[in-house]
Amino acid sequence: MSEQEIFESVQEIFRTVFDDDSIVLTREMTADDIEDWDSLEQINLLVAIEKKFSVKFKLDDVKNLPNVGAMLDLVKRMVA
Amino acid sequence: MPYTYLITGATSSVGSALIRRVWKPGDIVIAQGAGDLELLEELRPLCGGSLHCYDVDLTGEAPLAAFLAEVRENFGCPTHIVHLPALRVVNKKFKNFDEQRFLLDFNVQVMSALRICKAFLPDMMKARFGRILFMLTDYIIGVPPKNTTAYIVAKNALRGLARSLATEAAPAGVTVNCVAPYMMETRFLTDTPDLIVEASAAANPMGRNARVEDVVPAMAFLLSDEAGFISGAELPVTGGARY
Repeated sequence: MSEQEIFESVQEIFRTVFDDDSIVLTREMTADDIEDWDSLEQINLLVAIEKKFSVKFKLDDVKNLPNVGAMLDLVKRMVA
Repeated sequence: MPYTYLITGATSSVGSALIRRVWKPGDIVIAQGAGDLELLEELRPLCGGSLHCYDVDLTGEAPLAAFLAEVRENFGCPTHIVHLPALRVVNKKFKNFDEQRFLLDFNVQVMSALRICKAFLPDMMKARFGRILFMLTDYIIGVPPKNTTAYIVAKNALRGLARSLATEAAPAGVTVNCVAPYMMETRFLTDTPDLIVEASAAANPMGRNARVEDVVPAMAFLLSDEAGFISGAELPVTGGARY
């Protein structure tokens, strides 16, 4: 799966979880940039990503993700 | 004195562990499940013929009414009522609130408790003895988590019922209490992603989720003879997470 495909799928997940089709992800984006993005929604995002890419995260891998870029890189590593 | 336990949601991990914990020779256990009674078979060697299992759909009124009539006819009024059932928690924003599913859960959790108590509480009060216990959640303590409106509304209604009945039944020596556990690692979580379960454990001051063996002793205590002066309590079993 290409980086662009991962990006688009993750962006779609963000739009679904936050119910906002106007979200355009950037690698630098953090929880401060989306009003509803709290720890619960973070888990919801990760669970949706697990489902979409058929991967399974460990809590230690995901608890300190600083931004969207780190999230995308993690997905990329796991689907490689 | 032998007791008669009526336990709804008895096929849950907590239900079977509670039966194992409180049953003593001479006691009768009336155990309700819905399509999963085989889970109670492991209790058969312990309880033998004193375990009576009923498959009852609690989402509607008629099956419950028939069940309660049969219980009354066969066993009279229970001395102990334990109400455990709930549908699985659905994580959903309020704008997507599913009214139909909510009503099903409300029937299972609240209306069935109300109807069971309506059927038996007056006789318990006449007998001047009884214990009623409901399963709540620690979500009712403090600020609830978001996206769980249906569950929170049902549990708070159940809580209101317990409080109200506790007031009314106290003069007759009947107690009505609740336990409010932290996320409990049971079959109830089968559909919950591991990440959510792990995150919940990590967020707990004791670093783990509740276990059946944490909650059942608290329930057994509230059902015991020596807890006769405790009524209207909502006992948190949360590892210090909420209280």
